Amino acid sequence: MVVRTQQQDFAEFYSGAADECLRTVVVSIGDQDTAQELVDEAFARAWASWRTVSRHPAPKAWVVRTALNAGISRWRRRRREVPVPDPARAADLPAANGASASQVDPQIMAALMRLPARQREVVALRLILDLDTARTAEVLGIAPGTVMAHMGRAMAALRLDLQPELQQENQS
Amino acid sequence: MNDNELSTMVRESVADIRSSTPVDQVIRRGRAVRAWRRRVPAAAGALVVAGGAALGVTALAPSGHPAPAAAGTAGSRPAIVQLAAWTVAKQANGDIDVTIRQLLHPAQLQATLRADGLPAHVSFSGHPDSAVCQPYSRNESVIVLYRTLTWTLTRGGSDVFTIRPSQLPSGSGLSITVEKTNSFPGFLDPAFALVHASQQCTG
Repeated sequence: MVVRTQQQDFAEFYSGAADECLRTVVVSIGDQDTAQELVDEAFARAWASWRTVSRHPAPKAWVVRTALNAGISRWRRRRREVPVPDPARAADLPAANGASASQVDPQIMAALMRLPARQREVVALRLILDLDTARTAEVLGIAPGTVMAHMGRAMAALRLDLQPELQQENQS
Repeated sequence: MNDNELSTMVRESVADIRSSTPVDQVIRRGRAVRAWRRRVPAAAGALVVAGGAALGVTALAPSGHPAPAAAGTAGSRPAIVQLAAWTVAKQANGDIDVTIRQLLHPAQLQATLRADGLPAHVSFSGHPDSAVCQPYSRNESVIVLYRTLTWTLTRGGSDVFTIRPSQLPSGSGLSITVEKTNSFPGFLDPAFALVHASQQCTG
């Protein structure tokens, strides 16, 4: 009989979920370095509460939700206006397309970043984390119908944005 | 381009992203979170209940701060202020541990944090008061909040936050909004924003 320790259990979960969770958060917030920090912290909290999280019906969704909560204020998602950044501190922050962002297709990422934040989160959870509509709605705390509406609008916007690029690729 | 092609395109655009953090490092950090989580109830367990104090405020060792009226101590502010709903514990290094059990008395929590040197705006209604507080940009908030906050979910249903006021930029404060979450029953749903400190917002 094989007795698995909690640590082995968590390590296996981490191994299978870390990349996917990171990609999901990258698509949600657009900055890979920040996403890595937030996902690391979320996994650390998952380990700290592993008895609870391991029984969660969708632990990967728990991690992504925790990462997004830790880093992005709900305030920013609710407020559409962009506050004026303080230029004195802007230089201390990593660029949105830093060195590690080279792993991401810049044109598609730019198109994703042009989506409203909520649409981007829906795209990330549905396409990258592969959650169904109901679970996505649960994670974001919105109605399934709203998820479908956001997804529909996001796909239409992305298609419009990326169509010229695709045509160009096909011609060349 | 149909939906399937577009979906594939989006998936492939981030397919090369790999987490660079070894699991050992995550577990070490998780152990630190666990150890810290055990420290707070141990400290709270040593509390002496201040008989008859309004709202059940409990005082521990003085830390040299001005005393809130509810604590009933003269000339000093307790290092730990505990209500049934929440606990604020100021550590020797200036970090502030906040344990939230119930979403009650936000104004008193805000005043307690301010007395501990943290300009804060606290709301338990789930709706940040955007009329009185001006937030920083999202990018600025993300980086600063990552440095300023550690958030621990406890199995007992409490949410514990360690806040490092020393990491806040000069003239800034913290907007703390907490509500119950529908997504994960039993957990609270906190949200933080970096805001410009002002009389209206942080007091």
